[in-house]
Amino acid sequence: MDYLVEGLADAIRAMVGRDPVIRVAAWRSVWISSLAVLIASVSGLPVGCWLARAKFPGRRYLVLMFRAGMAFPTVFVGIVCFGLFARRGPLGPLELLYTPWAIVLGEFVLAFPIVVSLTQGAVYALDPRVSETAITLGAGPLQRWITYVSEARTGVTLAILAAFSRCVSELGIAMMVGGNIKGRTRTLATATAMETGKGEFAQGLAMGLILLTIALVVMTLIGSLNKEDKL
Amino acid sequence: MTLVEIEALRVQKEGAVICNVPSLAINAGEMVAIMGDNGSGKTTLLRVLASIERDYRGKCVIATDPRDVVFVHQSPYLFRGTVLLNVTYGLRVRGLRRSECQRKGLEWLERCGAAKLANKTAAHLSGGERKRIALARALAIEPKLILLDEPLEEVDDAGIATICKVLGETAVDATVILTSPVALPSSLVARRVELFDQRRIST
Repeated sequence: MDYLVEGLADAIRAMVGRDPVIRVAAWRSVWISSLAVLIASVSGLPVGCWLARAKFPGRRYLVLMFRAGMAFPTVFVGIVCFGLFARRGPLGPLELLYTPWAIVLGEFVLAFPIVVSLTQGAVYALDPRVSETAITLGAGPLQRWITYVSEARTGVTLAILAAFSRCVSELGIAMMVGGNIKGRTRTLATATAMETGKGEFAQGLAMGLILLTIALVVMTLIGSLNKEDKL
Repeated sequence: MTLVEIEALRVQKEGAVICNVPSLAINAGEMVAIMGDNGSGKTTLLRVLASIERDYRGKCVIATDPRDVVFVHQSPYLFRGTVLLNVTYGLRVRGLRRSECQRKGLEWLERCGAAKLANKTAAHLSGGERKRIALARALAIEPKLILLDEPLEEVDDAGIATICKVLGETAVDATVILTSPVALPSSLVARRVELFDQRRIST
């Protein structure tokens, strides 16, 4: 039990002392996950809206496929991305392996089905009068989609938050395609795993706590943008 | 000039006929009340005219641009945000400048007796207030054909007087078709169309 308390105390000291190793890894985790979620949101929101509103054969199976994608094991995504980015892989010439960009792309694969599925669910659940009212007031297709996202913004915000949570805390992709290279691709999750593996329990705990703090801050920030949604 | 022309209109859902209109013609500038009991097909007729219901047989010709036709639900949906944001929706999607949207929105709220609600959150309004806001939102785009599904339901006496006055003024430039299960004030509508239980229409 003592080692837990000591570890926690060391963790707080490391956080307050602004350990540069932790600071750099934290910043890298934030920007990589934010960029991956941003790309997933820009591309996933229209796809989610389209899947919620369009009627075509096979739509149900496509929706199910994206829902299944929400449960992708990160190690599996990491292995697939490794295969793609490896020198012999189809994207090998881009030399992305062991760069932060490889982690961004891997996390995008992780975030995209989450954004699509949860947006589809939120827009699909909208009152049918939303689209009828928008149409009858003269809204064009793009304006209607903006209206759907706006009306379903609680669900859409949750979709983005869920995607960010998954990305910022994932380990498999960052480890497989990032390689946990100090100063280049080390993220909080990979650093936490490494420090704990080395027996540096306090350092690992500190990083884990910072990860949790980042997630809480981002959730609060994004949640506060949605002023109407009072928990 | 005939604005609406219907011949042998028939709407079926799950094998049952829910609306049957053998013949109906409505001229521009008319105010017409579609009367009938619950389930007689009044709302379905308005939905066909609004191009929301497209699964029908027969002829339904509306001699105006679809963007000049507006439909207000029996229980109107108000978008999230303020009342003013709702009233200016149709103006914003038409690309009007923000200041122009605000001016027109406030003007129509005033005319519908709801100016004091401009900055209120739409979700907090009563049923009667929602009706007024939805009417102001529909009229703000200055449509040529206005379709109102039971616009006086849930509205208090003062609200009915205001809505009747606004519709009376609007019907000079636009055609108004409204539905009601009960008799409407004769000062409001010049012509009544009855939809019977057996899905037949007579004028």
